[in-house]
This record gives sequence, structure tokens and C-alpha cells, in this order.
Amino acid sequence: MTGERSPAAGRRKTLTHRITIGVLWAILTPLLILPLVAIFVFAGRGGWSSFWRTISLPDAQFALRLSLWIALWTSVANAAIGTFSAYVLSKHRFRGRGPLTILVNLPVAIPTVVMGTSLLLLWGPIGLLGRYLVPLGFRPMFAPFGIFLAHLLVTFPYMLGAVKPVLDELEITYEEAAYTMGAGRARTFFYVILPALKGGIFSGTLLTFAHSLGEFGATAMVSGNLRMKTQTAPLFIFAQFEAGQIEIANAVAAVLAVLSFTIFVFLLRFTRNPAREGA
Amino acid sequence: MKRKWTAETLLAIVLGAALALYLAWPSIQKIRKTRPRQDVLVVYGFSILGEVMNEAIFPAFSRQWKEQTGEDVVFTSSFSGSGTITNQIIMGAPAAIAILSHEGDARRLKEAGAVRTDWREFPARGVVNRTPFIILVRKGNPKRIRSFDDLARSKIGIVHPDPLTSGGARWAILAEFVSATRDPSGADSEDQRRGKAQLLGIWRNVVGQSPSAMGVRTQFENGFGDALITYEQQGLIPRPEGEKKVEIVRPSRTVLSEHIAVLVDRNIRPRDRFLTLAFRDFLFSPEAQRLFVKYGFRSAVDPSLDRTNPALADMPGAVTVDQMGGWEAANALVFEKIWKGEVLKELGK
Repeated sequence: MTGERSPAAGRRKTLTHRITIGVLWAILTPLLILPLVAIFVFAGRGGWSSFWRTISLPDAQFALRLSLWIALWTSVANAAIGTFSAYVLSKHRFRGRGPLTILVNLPVAIPTVVMGTSLLLLWGPIGLLGRYLVPLGFRPMFAPFGIFLAHLLVTFPYMLGAVKPVLDELEITYEEAAYTMGAGRARTFFYVILPALKGGIFSGTLLTFAHSLGEFGATAMVSGNLRMKTQTAPLFIFAQFEAGQIEIANAVAAVLAVLSFTIFVFLLRFTRNPAREGA
Repeated sequence: MKRKWTAETLLAIVLGAALALYLAWPSIQKIRKTRPRQDVLVVYGFSILGEVMNEAIFPAFSRQWKEQTGEDVVFTSSFSGSGTITNQIIMGAPAAIAILSHEGDARRLKEAGAVRTDWREFPARGVVNRTPFIILVRKGNPKRIRSFDDLARSKIGIVHPDPLTSGGARWAILAEFVSATRDPSGADSEDQRRGKAQLLGIWRNVVGQSPSAMGVRTQFENGFGDALITYEQQGLIPRPEGEKKVEIVRPSRTVLSEHIAVLVDRNIRPRDRFLTLAFRDFLFSPEAQRLFVKYGFRSAVDPSLDRTNPALADMPGAVTVDQMGGWEAANALVFEKIWKGEVLKELGK
């Protein structure tokens, strides 16, 4: 595929090599591969016709669509906000930059349930801001917009993490050349920096999309779990599993798994080495 | 650098287009046909109600409403642990009507200002349906469990709903307590000592918990534990997975859980009030009560309906919470003082 010979190529036939590979499979099979297999086994237990029947249930369809819409909007919004934030954090020096850099990465470390709760305590009817805004008719919680807000919050670091390292490594000489040729900040950003960031933004967007598609903790707190209204695919799966409808739960889970798989295939194929190409 | 127009890029575009079409499909259909005006009613219920509401009560009411007014009503619903939905409604979830597992959650909604109408003025003091607490065991009862006393034996594994979020768990604790006392109210110190010993013995054997009665049943059906303390109704409804793998043990002394319907006045817009009240009335109507009985609940409005479901065996030893001194008193004594204050602490040691 790549044409170049990997360093391990010479040792391909040796015993240690084979043992190493065997150990990897031995670890990953029960850890990762078999659980995924189980989903598909349970999803397909009733055969294709039964799979189609479960997957075309109106609430399953609604949940899948809602999840995809939310993931789409989250990725688009995060691509813009995340790239902008990465640019400012990387290229500008200002008071509070250090703490802010740490702060924007916090959502990775804090449990998503906590992030969801924090939104509820801000925008909900008894929340810090919601107390004043909800009476005015602004009710983001228990509505799709609230789910969007939650997903934006928990996926933010992934976008930033994909873009900022590229920016940090982007050699200053390109920008300087642009400036010396008389380009302004905005022109430099759109014609010099942005093209170099293409790979980073692309992979950040796909990562955001995939994360949003599977987000559970924060969503459970802010969505209200209303079927046909605010129930996303993961919440639907959980509700069906709780109700003992394991087949329905697994049918939707299988669809999510295939979608995520597809996303990551493209992620790996298209962004094979954006950083090296960019710089 | 110029990107090559590879098969992969094409595939990505095709997949992207297919996804876009899939996402836009409902809107495309909406353009083709305009839908008639619909009334929407948001109903929250505790976990075990999901099936009967979605399959029977909602369709029956929609039919009746259509006949009476010519308008369509669409139900939006959410079913989860009683404590969970109570918290969600307090936090602003848009329910117009909620059916809770016990009066304690109804009181919390009232204290939070979400509920203003007194449910005790509804038929049967707001009790939509009820069901005694029983023990679910594996088919053939291999551990020979006959009563709550047997659950305190060694080498028994119990799965239990989580009292923090599940109303069923609260009822289960009351049932466990009352199974050991001489008088249901558990007023004298000897009864309290017996009740506490029973709770200690049972809770020492709890091997798994889940946030709702529904979730814990799934856990049980997936092979965890030897016994599950739950609503009788849960043992009666057929489930695709666990059917015929479990059986019901009806203890001679247990508690009858009473499920309360409340109007969430804070969320009812004036123009929806009529519809909401009509649905509230429907819940207590003979038609709805018969449907509840068909799905394994017992009727508090008209107990004679219970005979229409042969699976509902007589349970003379099932006491109501009123016989235990009312929800508030029973909860304060059994749950707060004895279970939380003493049993949990001793188990933690």
C-alpha cells in the first residue's frame, strides 16, 4: 500500500515477531473484537427481515436521525469555533492564555454526566441563567438545542486537539513570508494557514461527529429522554435494553457501530499524514 | 498539492449524499403532504408503565379523543425510574402529567412548585393502579425461596432496584420490613428490631443494583442473582427474552404499591388544560382501569375488575401504606431511620 518497507519487514519470519502478533490478537480479541461481534450476533438473531422491522420502527428511525442531525451541527459548529480557538490560543499571546488552554481541555477529563449537569444548572429553570431566561421563553434544556449545546461542550477538546498541534508546529516562516508580501492577518489566515490546517480540521470534524453520535452521559442529563422528540440513538438503545428489548437495542447499536466504523475508515485514509504534508 | 480523484473520494461523496438524503427525508415528505393540526400531550411515567401506556392507554385515549372532538392527539412520553423523572420534572422537563411510583415523589414535585393541584382529590386519592410486591425467582425455584425470610439466608444473591432513583426499591424496602413485623405500622420497638434484622439480612445478600425496576429485571434475566424483589406486574408481563425462565413467589405478608398520577400544573398551558384533564379523567375510567388490569396491575378505583385477569391471585396478606401509617410516616421510619440510618451504616462496616 505505502510501498515503503516497514522496519519490521526484515524480521517478518522470526519467531518473536509471530509471538508478538499473536499476543496482540490474544489481547484484543476478548477485549475489543468479541464484544463488537456480540452486538451483531444479537442484532441479527432474527434474520434480515426482523432486523429491518426493528430498525424501521418510527422511534428507532427518529432517534437515529436526531443523532445524525445533532452530530452534523455539532461538527460544523465545532469546526468553526474549535479552529478559531486553536488559532487564537496558538498565535496570540494574552493574559490568561495558560489557564484557558488547560480549561478548554477539561471536558475530556470530567465525566460527561457532570458536564450535562453543569449545563442543566446553568440553563435549566432553576439554573444560574435559566432562572431569568426560561420565563422569557428561552428553554434550551430538554430540547434538541440543549443536546446540541451539551455535545458542543463535550466534543470541543477533540476539535482543538486535532487542530492546535498542527498550528503549533506550522513554521512561522510561511506566515512571515505572507506578511512581507503585504498580506493582512485575515488574508494570511485564509490563504496560508487554513489550507495547511485542512487535514487537522477534517480529522477533528470526523472525530467530533463520531463522538457526538455516541454521546450518552451529558445527553441523558439534558435531553429529558422524550421518545420521538429528544431521544437520541444511544438513549434509545439504553431505554430498549432496560426494557428487555435486547434485539431492538442491538439493531440500532449495530447501525451506530457501522457508521462509526465508516467514519474511522475515512479518517484514517484521508488524513494519513496531514501534519507532514502541511508543514 | 492536488488531490487525486480516487474511488475513495467518490465513495465518500456518494455516502455523504446518501446520508444527506436520509436526514432530509422526513422534511421532504412533509412538503408533499401537510399534516392536520395535532395536539401534543407530554406524559412522564415511572419505568414499568412504559408498555401498558404505549401499547394500550395512549392508543385508546387517542381513539376516544378523535371520536369526541375530531382532533388527533399525539403522545410524547418518557419512562424511567420514578426518582429520575421526578428530578427531571423539577429541573424543567416539559411533562404535563406524571405517573409516579409513590406519593413521596409527588410530594417532592409539589414542594418544588411543579404540582399545585392536590392529587388526593382525584378518584381513589390519585392512585391510578397498584400491585403487590413479590419475589421473582428462577424457573423451578432452585433455591426454594418462599418468603422474605428466605432471602436473608446465606448463599442467596439478590438483585435490587436502587432506592436512590427507583420508587420500586422504596416499596421493596417497605415490603421487606413489613414482612417481619407483627403489626404493619411497626410502631413498637420489638417490631422495629425485627424489621431491621430482616432488612440487614436481605441487604447483606444484595449483589446487584440498577436505577429502575425495569432495568433490574433485565439484569436478573441476564443471569444475575437468584431472586429479585419487584412489582407483581413485572412477573406477569411476557417478555421476549426472559419469558418462562422466571416464576413468581407471592409472600404471605407484603406491601401493595400505589402509583400516583399528578398534574404538572407548571407545564400545562391554558389551551392544553382541557385535553390534559380529559386524559387525567380517562386514566381513572373503567376502560383504562380494565387495560391496566389486563397488563397485570390491580385497580384501586374498582378492585372487582381484578377478577378479569386470572393471573392476579388473591393476596390477603398485602397491606397498603395507609395501614403502615401513611407514606410519610412509613418512609421516615423504615427508609430514612432504619434502612438509611442504621442498616446501610452497619453493612458499610
